[in-house]
Amino acid sequence: MLKILIPTLMLLPTTWLSSPKWLWTTTTAQSLMIASLSLTWLKRSAEPGWLTLNSYLAIDPLSTPLLVLTCWLLPLMIMASQNHISPEPINRQRMYISLLISLQVFLIMAFGATEIILFYVMFEATLIPTLAIITRWGNQAERLNAGTYFLFYTLVGSLPLLIALLILQKDVGTLSMLLIQYSPPTLLPSWTNKIWWAACLLAFLVKMPLYGIHLWLPKAHVEAPIAGSMVLAAVLLKLGGYGMMRMVILLDPLTKELAYPFIILALWGAIMTGSTCLRQTDLKALIAYSSVSHMGLVVGGILIQTPWGFTGAIILMIAHGLVSSALFCLANTVYERTNTRTLLITRGMQTLLPLTATWWFIASLANLALPPFPNLTGEMAIMASLFYWSEWTLILTGLAALITIIYTMYMFMTTQWGPVPPSMNNIEPPHSREHLLISLHLIPILLLILKPELVWGWYY
Amino acid sequence: MVNLVNMLREHWVNVLVPLGFVIGIYMDRRNDEKLTAFRNKSMLYKRELKPGEVTWK
Repeated sequence: MLKILIPTLMLLPTTWLSSPKWLWTTTTAQSLMIASLSLTWLKRSAEPGWLTLNSYLAIDPLSTPLLVLTCWLLPLMIMASQNHISPEPINRQRMYISLLISLQVFLIMAFGATEIILFYVMFEATLIPTLAIITRWGNQAERLNAGTYFLFYTLVGSLPLLIALLILQKDVGTLSMLLIQYSPPTLLPSWTNKIWWAACLLAFLVKMPLYGIHLWLPKAHVEAPIAGSMVLAAVLLKLGGYGMMRMVILLDPLTKELAYPFIILALWGAIMTGSTCLRQTDLKALIAYSSVSHMGLVVGGILIQTPWGFTGAIILMIAHGLVSSALFCLANTVYERTNTRTLLITRGMQTLLPLTATWWFIASLANLALPPFPNLTGEMAIMASLFYWSEWTLILTGLAALITIIYTMYMFMTTQWGPVPPSMNNIEPPHSREHLLISLHLIPILLLILKPELVWGWYY
Repeated sequence: MVNLVNMLREHWVNVLVPLGFVIGIYMDRRNDEKLTAFRNKSMLYKRELKPGEVTWK
């Protein structure tokens, strides 16, 4: 683990000491090197169970794909930000890259933690760089409001978790994930335990986010600069899913009864946020709401607690991480040329940027879960496990899937087809950097079709 | 000569990340050795270890 973590820390001095001319090249190349090194984890975690890497950090088949995704995303974020950050003063550019790197350090420690409290501390620590990125580098004045929403929603959700963890430590005597699975707390259905159950999951439900407590997400996505949107969609939301999967196995038998309203709310939310997407005018908000809709399915899959549910949840989290990040990058290529995110103004892109239209097409197909993309595998596994629990959920999940297809096609058709508005006649041609960026998102997705067991989590 | 000095001045920072990798591997190995030695103190698991063998994981 240290062989990834220390090079990542060394990226910080590299950022501050490299000459301004080479700043972006050096940081992109070095972080890509770290990302390639992190792929070795996929090979080592092929066996089930924990692989302890040192006294505090370990990987298992659940955390490995998320760790690799975290490492993979840093070079992509740096590459995506290059165009709009490089005109700024050099020290601000360095600060921006340093924040992205510190985010990767916190995320690696969060996903690799063996102690739940270390996970909690790192979970909270990721708020700081993300908040700075959103409120300092966002494009509009509303970014401050978005930052406040982001911070307070997450904090209000996670403070009860701290109390719940302290109680758990007192009752069981340990917070080590390696030990606690052998002596889970005995939970009688008393009111105290029910409140404790809610406190354990609330932080993660806010982070996912569950429908009803999701309002911070579209705001944060819309106002954040491209790297902020990418890391939010690809990794930070998955931190919630990961935390839920870690906690929910300790919460039996209460979950069986208490999870009902949350499962229904999540599935209802998938439909409602999908419907919101259908009448969105803002491209980034559309992709953000689509994230909420997909995460609703993940919440359902996790709370149902079957092997298929867990497997579907982790597959969908990884696939959605890559695809939504790619969609944000594509939205950013449009934004950097037209300075607007309004769907009706950015039309007919296919005739102007044909190769980018191909990327839009592939990313949209993956987002609407076309076979054989891993998104479909994840959704099907979750839908099947929910269906075995209750046939009625098929109405909700089926409708959500249908709406997903409709709004994704709506997004693709509005941006790519139709007449080109006169304001867009002399836009900049695409950079090879942008094509590389999108290919580095889509190649892993296409490769995962061939070897999906890398992201199957515990039950492979 | 001047070119070489210039190049070194521009690009020496590229050493830092590989250096971090080497330090990381060294620390990982030392940690393995320490914990293996600790485990080998146990009467139950004590045995003759091959050089470089890791038993604690």
